[in-house]
Amino acid sequence: MKGKPRVLVLDDEPIVCERLKPALEKSGFEVEAFTDSRKASDRLMEQRFDVLVTDLKMQGPDGLEVLRLVKERAPSTHVVIITGFATVDTAREAMRGGAVDFIPKPFRISQLRDLIVSLVEGPKP
Amino acid sequence: MAGFWRRARPERREEDSVAAVRRRIEGLRGLVDGNNHVLELIAKAGEMLGGEYVFDRNSLAAMAEELDAAARSVVFDLNAITGDRYPELVEAVERVGASVRATLESRPFAPEGEVVVPLDGIGEELADAVGEKMARLGSLQKHACCRVPEGFAVTAAACRLYLERAGVPAVAERWRLQGRAGEAADPGALSAELQARVKATPVPREVARAVQAAVRGLGRAAPGARLAVRSSALGEDGEVSFAGQYATRLGVDPPDVLEAYREVVASLFSPGVVRYRVSAGLDPADALMAVACLTMVPAVASGVVHTVDPTDPSRRVLQVAATRGLGSAVVGGDVPVDRFELSREAPHPVVSRHVADKRVMDVMGRRGGVERTEVPEGERDRPSVSDDDLARLAATVLRVERYMKSAQEVEWAIDGHGELFVLQARPLRLDASPALRRDAAEATSRAPVLMRDRGVVACRGVGAGVVKTVTGLEDALGIEPGRVLVARLSSPRLAAAVSRAAALVTDIGTTTGHLAAIAREFRVPAIMDAGDATRILTDGAEVTVDAEENVVYAGCVSELLEEQLLRRDTYSDAPEFRLLRRMLKKIAPLNLKDPGGPDFFPQRCTTYHDIIRFAHEKAMEDLAEGQRLTPRAGSRDVHRLEMNVPLDLLVIDLGGGVAPGEDGVPLTPDRVTSRPLRAVIEGLTTEGVWARGPADMDLDGFLSSMTRSHALTDQLALRPDMNVAIASADYLNLSLRLGYHFNIVDCYLSESGRDNHIYFRFAGGVTEMTRRTRRAALLRQILTAHDFATEGSADLVIARIKKMPYEVAVERLRMIGRLIGFTRQLDVLLRDDRLVERLAASFNQGRYGAAFR
Repeated sequence: MKGKPRVLVLDDEPIVCERLKPALEKSGFEVEAFTDSRKASDRLMEQRFDVLVTDLKMQGPDGLEVLRLVKERAPSTHVVIITGFATVDTAREAMRGGAVDFIPKPFRISQLRDLIVSLVEGPKP
Repeated sequence: MAGFWRRARPERREEDSVAAVRRRIEGLRGLVDGNNHVLELIAKAGEMLGGEYVFDRNSLAAMAEELDAAARSVVFDLNAITGDRYPELVEAVERVGASVRATLESRPFAPEGEVVVPLDGIGEELADAVGEKMARLGSLQKHACCRVPEGFAVTAAACRLYLERAGVPAVAERWRLQGRAGEAADPGALSAELQARVKATPVPREVARAVQAAVRGLGRAAPGARLAVRSSALGEDGEVSFAGQYATRLGVDPPDVLEAYREVVASLFSPGVVRYRVSAGLDPADALMAVACLTMVPAVASGVVHTVDPTDPSRRVLQVAATRGLGSAVVGGDVPVDRFELSREAPHPVVSRHVADKRVMDVMGRRGGVERTEVPEGERDRPSVSDDDLARLAATVLRVERYMKSAQEVEWAIDGHGELFVLQARPLRLDASPALRRDAAEATSRAPVLMRDRGVVACRGVGAGVVKTVTGLEDALGIEPGRVLVARLSSPRLAAAVSRAAALVTDIGTTTGHLAAIAREFRVPAIMDAGDATRILTDGAEVTVDAEENVVYAGCVSELLEEQLLRRDTYSDAPEFRLLRRMLKKIAPLNLKDPGGPDFFPQRCTTYHDIIRFAHEKAMEDLAEGQRLTPRAGSRDVHRLEMNVPLDLLVIDLGGGVAPGEDGVPLTPDRVTSRPLRAVIEGLTTEGVWARGPADMDLDGFLSSMTRSHALTDQLALRPDMNVAIASADYLNLSLRLGYHFNIVDCYLSESGRDNHIYFRFAGGVTEMTRRTRRAALLRQILTAHDFATEGSADLVIARIKKMPYEVAVERLRMIGRLIGFTRQLDVLLRDDRLVERLAASFNQGRYGAAFR
């Protein structure tokens, strides 16, 4: 049997990581959560993830840079953008850069979970 | 009430009256949109408290901005419609916006109000005023979880007064200026200066008097009692960050309470606290606290209990540390104490026991304070608590845990009469171990699933218990606490039962409704709108409701419950959730409930909800008033409609709403060409819908209607008044004042169907809250059955439906017409809950007359 799908959550707001990590783990994913985008980038370099869930506006490399990095290193990783209202334009840019979807905050945990499930189970792009 | 046209521009009224109505209708549409937008945002903010949403501080700030902008646009539209009649409302928006922003910036904040609050008047809603410790103790007492000492809180408002008197704000300002100038000020020196100022300043007289009166009150209840005076920090963050840094005075003699208060307040600026604030980037002088004054329990034994073993929660034990005398010895941790482990299962037998050799104990000193004395030789190695008392302690703290919905650390004491007191309770902050999470995952994979992903989560959490189904007429008050409540409808009458339930599942209902809000208030896991839960979950069966995952399992999945008790992400304690809760208090409560009441003024608007309610009401009033013009002789635009029901209706034709007729001949329904108005008239005039004569009022209904400020003589005669229909071929705005009710229908109806919408608003109504609540329940039940999305409170029901085909829209409008006639006097008739179902059924079956017999 294949191992659990791996998900990396990156958001500089600890509350987002604290909420998403246990919720997604409970749904059967292997989850690593980071509030520091540099550390997250390092981890993305050494480990392939099925799904990257990232915020856009952050200190250090921002979401768009992390997205570019992932798309270079592991093009098959699905990238989901979670973002505040203020950065919807940037989110569009992220879609053009290869993100599969963006979910504005606040969002329901189940909405993100359902999206990740469909990405992991569905056909690869 | 002077009409706008008569006051403002009488000379132009006749020339452009219909054109003006047209313009105002446009303004109104903008206002209604803004109003709806604000309501939606408020509802969403309430829903976010349920834990299903992920959000951060930025989301809250964005939401606050959006709310502010929407409220401003509503006020702008109102002033545009009314010729700038409400400049004070602009100030009200400024005021609310400023207080929301202060909340978001987490500046210490003291709600206006009492300087002293007795403990028995405290609930969690006062946390901002009395601090966390006192708010929790107060609500534990209120919900009968345990006995707590007598006492009172000196509030944050008192502290602010005191600090102002002591000149703290000036020092704070100087510190800020120094910071901006790049001068590195010394936190140690700042601490010394602030503490010296506080200690040198007498407690303000109004605070001192209130404290002394409260102390005298305690003395009368318990002569000779001494007090414990300590901080009750504001905000969970404060409680955690400054634990042990603030001063505590035990065994304080009543005359010394003010001095103890001063010492505790001064510790707000102790060197450690000031340094911490500086390092955390906070303003070190910008601080407040509430202070708890509780009578000391003359304890023969006391200690601390953890409701789980923090190192291995799967052991299912409570851990008790106990000693003779006062608990300071246990909390201090400097002397050997007895340790017990008890089973979490009743009757809570002792599973392990370590009795220490207790040579010393703390007792109250003869001249105040606490003294350490020797334990008599023969008693040193005897247990400080009996097994019976331990079992009682276990049952009590588990009640506290159930109410708080998380593992607890509880300070307790037993007095010479064997009375058990809870002195303090706080969440045991632990992370569920990976092992425990694994156990929970395995247990849930084995447990039979009864329901999955049906309905929507209104409040996250896990609860287990025996199912109690409520499908109709059951007595809600008789429902035992701790049951899993499974209800057909989200009836408001279940509110009390929900607050005590282990979990809530409903067939029908919304996450923004009243019952969902109650569930969130009491942190009761809740799944709403699950369709046929009452059929799937059988009465009397034990189930586990996992409202984290939206699953219901058969049986009790104890591993899941244990994991839940220890979840660090118990969301409701997260700073963002606390912030949202505080923010909601600034935006959501509706204080302006009665448009006829003395408080219905812009100056009284304290929340966004108040503001939009005021604006909407005034806009509707202005519109309705504005059309109360006497039609110009021969006017082709304004008509009085004659129908075979006792309803005066003035029809203003915006174009295409009325077929031409002979001058001077009243308008009859057959000449109405406005599609939506025709449909409503058809409904209104349906045989049997319109009860003749006033409904009989029973005494309760009559008496409660007396307390309302309407002119009763008019109301009892049910004289129709101020009814206006503004209509074009495909648009209708209808405002009807019928007896006690104020109905508004705003709709657009075209053959294409794409833009079809119906907005129905029902407000007002005499009689007391319970009947109004029933009436709202009835209306929502009927409207929901006809596919409307509904919202609102007891005295306000708003229903919307959009984008339906032409034929469906016509039928729905006819239904609205029938409903308006049908519900005209319902609140007087709705004497008990059973009638809600029965009347809804008779309406839906077309037996309108049945209700009035």
